[in-house]
Amino acid sequence: MSVITWKIGGPAGFGIMSAGPMFAMALKRSGYSVHGYPEYPSIIRGGYNNYHVTFSDKPVFSVYNRCDILVALDKVVFDSETITKNMIVIADFDNIKGTEDLECKKVNIPFKKILKDNELPDIVKNSIALGVSAKILGIDEEILFTLFKENYPAKVLDMNISAAKIGMEFCLDEMKFKVPKGNSNFKDNLLMTGNEAIALGAVKAGLGFYSTYPMTPASSILHYLAKLEEKYGIIVKHTEDEISGIIMAIGASYAGVRAMTGTSGGGLSLMTEGVGLAAITETPLVIALSQRPGPATGMPTWTEQADLKFVLNISQDEFVKIVLTPGDLNELFYMTFEAFNLADRYQVPVFVLTDKFLSESHFCEAIFSDNGLKIDRGFIFEGNSEAPMEFFPRYKEVENGIPMKSNPGTPGGLYKAPGNEHDEFGFVATDSRTRIKNQDRRFKKEEFIKKELPLPRLYGAKEAEITFVCWGSTKQPLMEALKHTDKFNFFHFSAVNPIDWEKVKELLKDKNLVAIETNYTGQLASVIAEKTGIVIKDKYLKYDGRPFFVEEIIEFVKRGN
Amino acid sequence: MKAMDFNSGKIPVWCPGCGNFAIWNAIKGALADLEINGKDVVNISGIGCSGKMLNHLRTYGFHTLHGRTLPVATGVKLSNHKLTVVVNGGDGDGYGMGVGHFIHAIRRNLDVTYLVHDNHIYGLTTGQASPTTDRGLKSKSTPHGVIDEPLNPLAVALNAGATFVARGYSGEVEHLKELIKEGINYNGFAYIDILQPCVTFGKTYSYEYYDERIYKLDESYDFTNFDNAMEKIWEKEKIALGIIYKKERDEYASLHPQLKDDILVNSTGKLRDILEELEKFK
Repeated sequence: MSVITWKIGGPAGFGIMSAGPMFAMALKRSGYSVHGYPEYPSIIRGGYNNYHVTFSDKPVFSVYNRCDILVALDKVVFDSETITKNMIVIADFDNIKGTEDLECKKVNIPFKKILKDNELPDIVKNSIALGVSAKILGIDEEILFTLFKENYPAKVLDMNISAAKIGMEFCLDEMKFKVPKGNSNFKDNLLMTGNEAIALGAVKAGLGFYSTYPMTPASSILHYLAKLEEKYGIIVKHTEDEISGIIMAIGASYAGVRAMTGTSGGGLSLMTEGVGLAAITETPLVIALSQRPGPATGMPTWTEQADLKFVLNISQDEFVKIVLTPGDLNELFYMTFEAFNLADRYQVPVFVLTDKFLSESHFCEAIFSDNGLKIDRGFIFEGNSEAPMEFFPRYKEVENGIPMKSNPGTPGGLYKAPGNEHDEFGFVATDSRTRIKNQDRRFKKEEFIKKELPLPRLYGAKEAEITFVCWGSTKQPLMEALKHTDKFNFFHFSAVNPIDWEKVKELLKDKNLVAIETNYTGQLASVIAEKTGIVIKDKYLKYDGRPFFVEEIIEFVKRGN
Repeated sequence: MKAMDFNSGKIPVWCPGCGNFAIWNAIKGALADLEINGKDVVNISGIGCSGKMLNHLRTYGFHTLHGRTLPVATGVKLSNHKLTVVVNGGDGDGYGMGVGHFIHAIRRNLDVTYLVHDNHIYGLTTGQASPTTDRGLKSKSTPHGVIDEPLNPLAVALNAGATFVARGYSGEVEHLKELIKEGINYNGFAYIDILQPCVTFGKTYSYEYYDERIYKLDESYDFTNFDNAMEKIWEKEKIALGIIYKKERDEYASLHPQLKDDILVNSTGKLRDILEELEKFK
């Protein structure tokens, strides 16, 4: 099996984040499975941006540290990347000092001269690079130009196409890189980011209202939904702050609309009071959380999985919340879809956790279909027109701790939804019997949710020397690493709460467990210890803002730990 | 329906003489006069004595967190723009915690009626200074006297672009009722600051204090004139009651093409066809 990696880098403002994904799509359309991983600082111009594409004629899942072909649009790339002997480096070597002694295979493209001779602006440098890359990898130019047409406004289209063509002309036959032939296996696969999968899962589920404040790496859910709002009849709001974002969504859900909010850890800190409000009013709510490192503002454009315990313990007091931790596009799509059903059925806050790596990288294993997708709005009171002004026992158990919801406007469905503890009709109540009755009833739901949520799933051989335990996006590098060694297998938790921990205990026993997480303390391991008594001593933790690179996992396994 | 039909049957726990009784009566009277069915009304309340209004109205109701009335109202109103939404909050709720949301609700011109029970003090938490408390007042949280300048909420609203700014007084129930009716009928954000004595903690702003100072704006007053409005808002010795400023402006929900044909509630929660979108990822 051969996996090839291509990377394009340069300062922010050089069009790396448009060229990279476009080239990933060009590769997919040429018959490859593709993964695209972006790295960028939180600045508009300057710094170092890069987009790393991994592709193969077999499914690829995740990013390697290794780079086979590097496109360096500027000197900054050489300051940031380790250049090795086997690498093909595409750069304007004539104009970059200090590259003379590099032992890589140099493909010298005189970007500066090309731009000057052809009177082209700097911004098409990335298109020249894509032309060169397409030629070297044997990508049909029509595939590339079709993508240009889809992505560039008409007035700059010709300029970019001619730039790419000039790039192609500079490539000699000996520069070509041997790649496996593309096949049609990936024709129907979708190449998209995790955030797009979340947004589409929500749209599919009949999302009516999305409100939040932009926060990387969750912002692109907002952007994508905003683009779709008129077409699909959804209200999408960029609110004054995260507090308003979640509270507006609660208002919408109270009124009977499927509502969602999305944010990162800092935004969730502000939303915390709203989560509690949704919980006690039993207003269905879906919250997409895309994690990034650091308390406060931390590292906005980097990845980490360190908010699991925050979410599990969010808000004061104790209440039932659902925490889903999908690990790939399919899981993101279907679980977000199902999150709305769970929220409606159980009337609790439902979290869909992702992280920068899963939210913003491009993956291509997904094929979404309608098969088996059903909408469940839960128990909704149809109304009583005989007695339109009657109060309705909104908070009286109908089944399994779940009460029946009544939407404002429904005759005979009048009730109060209070942030305070309350009686069946929603009137504030503080007597001990009511409090106990309500807490008991609300927690009763947990037993039934437990039966619906997926248990951790084993990937790889049934038996192996090492059994990794992971959640969320870490599934991706482990899937990729499995292609290189059979020394490990792994359990992936696609949901953490509430799940049947007795069964989890059975699954995990008698295995050489290693917790693998991108956080400092091993948060899932700590939850497992709390819930099952199984203490996973061996932990492989990373908290530098990067996902696990495939080689790192292989190295770790080889060391035998 | 009669005003008394809007009683929830719960006995209020406000202090005897509290201005909230009058506001309660004014709301019930306004709904009755306008012949609105309680099932089509959502009363959204914040925290504090004003928040308890929720318990006493035979309507739908959402009792949200401190300062968070207007975001709830926005979500409700955009989801079902046929509902009548009446928001009750206090000066602590609306001008303290909620002041950001207040300004943004004004920018949006959401079609709700926002009643701020302004008693210049925190009542339910036993008498701390509020954003509208005068300088020098000694309270539990300001034993050395307030040193912050009080907020003039009507001026804030006007400057933020509010197009329905009114002032009512709980000592003038009929007048207040008429104001609330005007507010509900107004197609946009109707903001009414209600002077309300707190008989237990707000000794300065008593009924006597207001009765000596208030006067009602009559027909000779031109509420479409911004400068007039500003002048009224900054009057020192006298306190004008009535619609201080009013102007037509596009109402928020009407600016959403998604809401042109139907309420959002009717289109949500149905399986959607997204094939066209998926094709773009191939």
